[in-house]
Amino acid sequence: MENNYQLSRIQNYISGLMNKEEMFQLEKEALEDPFLQDAIEGYRMQKGVDVRQLSLLQQRLNRRVEQTKSTRNAQFYTWQRLAIGSAAGVIFVVLIAFIYFRNFTSHTSRTTEVELINPENKIAIEPVLTGGDASPIGGWNEFEQYLQKNTQVKDLGGKVVVEFSVDKNGKLTNFIFGGQPNETLKKEVLRLIEQGPKWQGNQGKLIILFPIDEYNFSQVIKPPHCFGIEEQAN
Amino acid sequence: MSEKELLIQYRTTGDLDLLGKLYAPYMSLLYGVCFKYLQDADKSQDAVMQIFEELIRKLRIHEVDNFKSWLYTFSKNFCLMQLRKGKATQYVDIDEQVAIGNDYLDESDPKEWSESQFEKLESCMLTLKPEQERCIRLFYLEQKCYKDIVTLTGLDMNQVKSYIQNGKRNLKICMENK
Repeated sequence: MENNYQLSRIQNYISGLMNKEEMFQLEKEALEDPFLQDAIEGYRMQKGVDVRQLSLLQQRLNRRVEQTKSTRNAQFYTWQRLAIGSAAGVIFVVLIAFIYFRNFTSHTSRTTEVELINPENKIAIEPVLTGGDASPIGGWNEFEQYLQKNTQVKDLGGKVVVEFSVDKNGKLTNFIFGGQPNETLKKEVLRLIEQGPKWQGNQGKLIILFPIDEYNFSQVIKPPHCFGIEEQAN
Repeated sequence: MSEKELLIQYRTTGDLDLLGKLYAPYMSLLYGVCFKYLQDADKSQDAVMQIFEELIRKLRIHEVDNFKSWLYTFSKNFCLMQLRKGKATQYVDIDEQVAIGNDYLDESDPKEWSESQFEKLESCMLTLKPEQERCIRLFYLEQKCYKDIVTLTGLDMNQVKSYIQNGKRNLKICMENK
């Protein structure tokens, strides 16, 4: 190493181990190189080169470099932790959202369940999904409430199955009743529909249940879209 | 990796390993320089480490062409600052400082000298103080070492050195002005 070579030259120069030509060479170099000049003067003041001192200095430098490396590693880990932390944060938010939506969904279905257990003396409707795409404007819920409010048949129970189409004015026409429904109920259905809300869609099939004491309404399962979730016409 | 590459690499990456590689070869010389000014082994060792600390920041900012001379100037200033802090004022000959700056500039190309330049040199030699002229002749022309010049002239070692240094500087100034 050039540096160690210089150092041993300095050492030899100061301790008088050089011949005259070598001394002259170093002196000449030092005149051109103030760095070397100062170093020689410094070592002369110290009365020689202490190699042990210099190796200690080298060790200090090595430690210093190492130390920064480890701090950088520590910082690196901090960044890693930060990354893990933020990932955990994101996962947490996603989980919260997931739970929220799950609860929200199950909440609605729970509401549906409550609604499904139809209290006595309430009209229930059940759109037959295969029957068509028709739905009352304002939603099934509102239609059911309308039926409930306006029915004049209070003392007669039974089931009416009716197929119909929707005309361009949103009125229901072409009623086809399934089975042999009670004539009173049939008329009541026609009256209620006639005075009821407008419809959208083309075709529909509906099961309307008039409450009777013996009938277990809870068995009537309605699709969730009957409750608040409106089915849009295609 | 060359010194220049190390410098550039360090400036871009800030990798202390690189700076360590760059610095280590100069440490022993630097220690000598620091000792010259601080005259204390522990202080000099600390100074060498403190200079390294300074370099960590400085070399990321500054583009350094000649690392060796830059490092020398920086370290010397650092030591002088240390001394000033310690209220021990050190006076440095400003001419010497200027001369040092110049020394590094023209170490590059040893030109072929023409006859007229030798004549110029001879006439310049006559403008020097007699002690300076004598020491310069002994040193540069007869290639005697300081020790020999001391015995030949009966001068003190430090006198010899300063005659040569100052004579050399005066010669240079004279040569440039003619």
